[in-house]
Amino acid sequence: MKNILLFFVILFIAGMVVADNSGNGFFPYSYEKYNLPNGFTAYLIPVEGSGLVAYYSVVRTGSRDEWEPGKSGFAHFFEHMMFRGTKKYPGSVYDRMVTEMGADANAYTTDDYTCFHMVAPSHDLEKVMELESDRFQNLDYDEKAFKTESGAVYGEYRKGRVNPYAVLEEELQNTAFDKHTYKHTTIGFERDIKNMPNMYAYSKSFFKRYYRPENVVLMIVGDFSIPQAKELVQKYYGDWKPGYVAPKITPEPKQQGERVKEVKYSGRTLPILWIAYKGDAFDPANKMIAAADLLGDLAFGQNSEIYKKLVLREQKVQFIGSYFPYNRDPGLLNIYCMVKDENDIPYVKQEINTTVEKFRKELVKQTELDKLKKRVRYAFLMKLETPDDIAGNLARFVALTGGIDEINTLFDNIQAVTPQDVRAAAQKYFQKKHRTVITLKGEK
Amino acid sequence: MKKFMLITVTFILIGSFFWSGCQKSAGLQMVQYPVKDDPTVSFRLWFKVGSMNDPVGKEGLAALTANMITRGATQKHSLEEITDLLYPMAAGINNQVDKEMTIIYGRTHKDNLKDYYAILKEVVMEPAFKEEDFERIKTNTLNYLEKTLRYADDEELGKEVLSEFVYIGTTYQHIEEGYISGIKNITLDDVKSFYRKLYTRGNLVIGLGGGYDTAFAEQVKKDFSQLPPGASKEVPKPKVSPIDGMEIRIVEKDANATAISFGFPIDVLRGEKDYYALAIANSWLGEHRNSSSHLYQVIRETRGLNYGDYSYIEHFPNGGRRQFPPPNVARRQQMFQIWIRPVPNYAKMFAFRAALRELQKLVDNGMSEDDFQLTKKFLNNYVLHYAPTTMMKLGYAMDDVFYGIQGNHLKKFQQMLNQLTLEDVNAAIKKHLQYRNLKVVFVTNDAETLKDRLINNLPSPIRYDTPKPKAVLAEDHEIANYPLHVKAEHVKILKLDSLFE
Repeated sequence: MKNILLFFVILFIAGMVVADNSGNGFFPYSYEKYNLPNGFTAYLIPVEGSGLVAYYSVVRTGSRDEWEPGKSGFAHFFEHMMFRGTKKYPGSVYDRMVTEMGADANAYTTDDYTCFHMVAPSHDLEKVMELESDRFQNLDYDEKAFKTESGAVYGEYRKGRVNPYAVLEEELQNTAFDKHTYKHTTIGFERDIKNMPNMYAYSKSFFKRYYRPENVVLMIVGDFSIPQAKELVQKYYGDWKPGYVAPKITPEPKQQGERVKEVKYSGRTLPILWIAYKGDAFDPANKMIAAADLLGDLAFGQNSEIYKKLVLREQKVQFIGSYFPYNRDPGLLNIYCMVKDENDIPYVKQEINTTVEKFRKELVKQTELDKLKKRVRYAFLMKLETPDDIAGNLARFVALTGGIDEINTLFDNIQAVTPQDVRAAAQKYFQKKHRTVITLKGEK
Repeated sequence: MKKFMLITVTFILIGSFFWSGCQKSAGLQMVQYPVKDDPTVSFRLWFKVGSMNDPVGKEGLAALTANMITRGATQKHSLEEITDLLYPMAAGINNQVDKEMTIIYGRTHKDNLKDYYAILKEVVMEPAFKEEDFERIKTNTLNYLEKTLRYADDEELGKEVLSEFVYIGTTYQHIEEGYISGIKNITLDDVKSFYRKLYTRGNLVIGLGGGYDTAFAEQVKKDFSQLPPGASKEVPKPKVSPIDGMEIRIVEKDANATAISFGFPIDVLRGEKDYYALAIANSWLGEHRNSSSHLYQVIRETRGLNYGDYSYIEHFPNGGRRQFPPPNVARRQQMFQIWIRPVPNYAKMFAFRAALRELQKLVDNGMSEDDFQLTKKFLNNYVLHYAPTTMMKLGYAMDDVFYGIQGNHLKKFQQMLNQLTLEDVNAAIKKHLQYRNLKVVFVTNDAETLKDRLINNLPSPIRYDTPKPKAVLAEDHEIANYPLHVKAEHVKILKLDSLFE
C-alpha cells in the first residue's frame, strides 16, 4: 500500500529528474535503452562503486487496471502471487536462492503500477535475471497456494484498517469517482478481498493479459557492464511472448458539482479535513502539470503562508500539506490537514478556500517560485545516493510514460514555470465544481 | 559513483588540540566518515541523553527538549525564518530520541554547506525555547499518545506496551515520548534546565560524514567546543526484574484483528561473540520483513494467517515502516522479541502458540547444519544493505563508539560469520534464549475470554477457508494443543485509555 508521505517524496523527486542519456545533463548518469522485438524495454544505468545492482521490474498495471466489477485489489493480490514460484523454481526454491544471494527483495503495488525490486551483489546479476524473467514468464501456482495467499492479503488489509487515513482514502476515492477505476483504493474493497479465494481462474487470466513484455519495463542500476546486461536481457527475455490486452477502463465523466462527505472512524483521532480537486493525466510535455506540481507546494507546503498561519502562529491545525500526484489518468490534487478542535473545521476550510482563491487571482512572488525550483533541484540531487535510490525514484515516471526518456522535457517545463503559469494552473484545477471534501472524525 | 573511503573515527581532545581558549578538560569526541566524492555532507550530533534521563513525573522531557531544539525558534530566528532558510536547500534538521541516545541530524548538499551549518549550529547552541513552540509541541505529543498510538497502529501499540512491561520499574520503562501526565507536568523551565544541564560538550559526540574537508571538520569541533563543559553522571544500566513464568497483558480493544508481541530481556550486546552467534539464529527464526524468516514461513506462508512474523535481539523501532535496523538506538540492555503481525481474532491463540512452539524447537534442538550454512550465506551479503548511505554508515560508526567496537560492526559481522561454528550458535541459543519465562502482550477484543482460555490452557484449533496438506493439519493439531502454563494472577487486562497515562 502506498504510504502517503513517502509516496509524495518519491513523486516529488521522480518528477524532477532530468534525463540525458549521455550523462552530461542534470541527471548525472548515462544510460542505454534496450528494446527487444517482443516489446520489452530495459533501461541500463551503470553506476560504479557499490558492488550492487538494483533490479526493478515495473509492471504498468496497478489498481487502475482493475476494471471488472468485483476485482478491486487484484493487482496487489497478484503482486503477492508472483512470489509463489514456477515449475523450474517453485516458491521455496526461489526464496532459498534469494536468501543465498543475501538480496533485498520486495514488491509494492500502487494505483498505476506494480513494482518488483531487488538489490543484489553485482556478481549475481545473471542469477537475478534468470529468476525474475522466469517468474514473469512462467509463474505457476496451484489453487491451494492461491487461497492461502489470500489470507495474507486480508491480513494486510486488517493491519492497515486501524489507520484513519485508510478509512479516509477509501471514502475519498469512492466519492470523487463515479466510473473510473480510481474509485477504489489499491488494497481494494473489503468485500472483494474477502472473495479473492474464489478467483483462481481469474488470476490466471490476469497474469496472461498484464504480465507481458510490452507492459513491463526493466531498470538495472549499479555495478555492471552494458554489453553483458544486453546479452543477458536478450537471453532471458527474448523469448517472452507478447500478448498484452489493455484494460477497458471507463473514463471518468466531468464532475459537475462539489461533493461533500463526512466519515466516521471507529477510534480516536483529531478531525482530518481532506479537499481534493480533479487533475489531469500525467504528461511530461504539459506545462500545466509542472505548474500544478509547484502550485501544491507553494500554496500548502511547509513554507507557505497558510502553513505558517495555521500550524505555527494560530496553531489551529497539527499539520497541513498537499499531495498532487502524477497519475496515468486524471487523478486527484489533494490538500489535507489535521484540525486540533472540531469547532475550527469551518474556519480552517475557509482559510483553505481563501488560499485557493488567492492563488487563482494573484501571482505568486518570483522569489518564492525560485526558492521552490532550487529546492526541487537539491532534493533531486540529494536523492541519488545509491543504485536503489536511483531506480526507486524513477519507477513511477517509468510506469506512467513507459521509460525515462521524457524526464528532460518535464524538468525543462518545471524550470520554465512562471508565476503566470502557477496562476493559470490554480484557475484550471481549483474549481469548486470539481472538488470533493471529506471530513473524518473519530467516534469516541 | 563515489568511492567510499575507509571510515575514520577520531577522538580528539579539542580543548588542548585546536582551540587554546578552551578548557583542557573539555573532551569533545568526533566520529568522521569522509567520502571524497559525496556531493552532500551528513551531520549526526549525538548527545548522551535519552528518555532514561527523564525525571520521575516528567516523563517525556528528553524528547520534548529535542523537539524544542529542532522544531522551535532560535535566539536569532523564528521557526518560520528557519524553515524559510532551509527550504531552498531541501534540507532539514531532525531529532531521534531513544532510551540512551539523542541524535540531532541533517544532511545538506555541499553547495549549501556554509549556510546550512550556520543554521544547524544556531539551532543546537542557541535555542530560544519560546512559549508558543512549547505549546505546539506539547499538544502534538499528547495527540500522538492519546489518539494515534492508542488507536491508529495496534502493532506499535503492542510493542510499546511490551517494552513498558519488560522494563517495568527501570529507567527504560516509559515510552520515549513520555507519559501523558508527565508531558502535562513539564514546564518550559524544565526544558531550559534539562538543556542547560545535559546538552554539554562532555555529553556530545559529533558525527560528520560525506564530502567535507579537514578544515571544515576542525571548524565544527571548534564551534561545538563552546557548549558548556561537563558531562552528566551516567544513569545506571536498568536492572530488569526476573520474569516468573508467562506474564501476560491483554489490551482490550474493539478490533477485528489481534496484534501480538512477546519477549524477555537478554544479556547480549553488539560486539560480543554471542551477539553474532545469536544474530545468525535470530535471522533464521525471524529476519525482519523477509520471507527467509522461519516464523514468516510457518504462520504466513504456509497458513496465510497474517502479513508477517519476525524476531529481534536488538531494539528495532517502527518496524512496520522500515526494512533495515536504524542506527543510534543503541542500548545497554536489550530484549529478545517476537512480533506477530495482526491475525484474525479467531486465530490469536493459535498464532501465539505457533510462534512459541517454534521458539521452543529452536531452543531445544538448535539450528540444523543446512539452516546454519544458508543463513550465514544470506547474512554475509544482506548486512551490506543495512547501511547503504553515508548517513547510515556514519550512524553505524557512532553505534560502534557506544558499544566499544574496535573497527566496524558490519565488517566484524561478516568476519564473525566466517568464524562461528554451528556449535557456537547453538550454545548461544541455549545460553540466552528460552521459552518458559516470557512477557506477552495481546491487543485484542474480548479480553476476558482470551484470559480464561489462556489460564485454562484450552486448545485453540484453527480453521481455514482453504484446504491444507495433511502434514500441515497434523502440525496444526500439535500447535492447537501446545501447552501453555499461565497462572491467573499473571494475566491482566488493560483498558486502552489507561495506557501511557
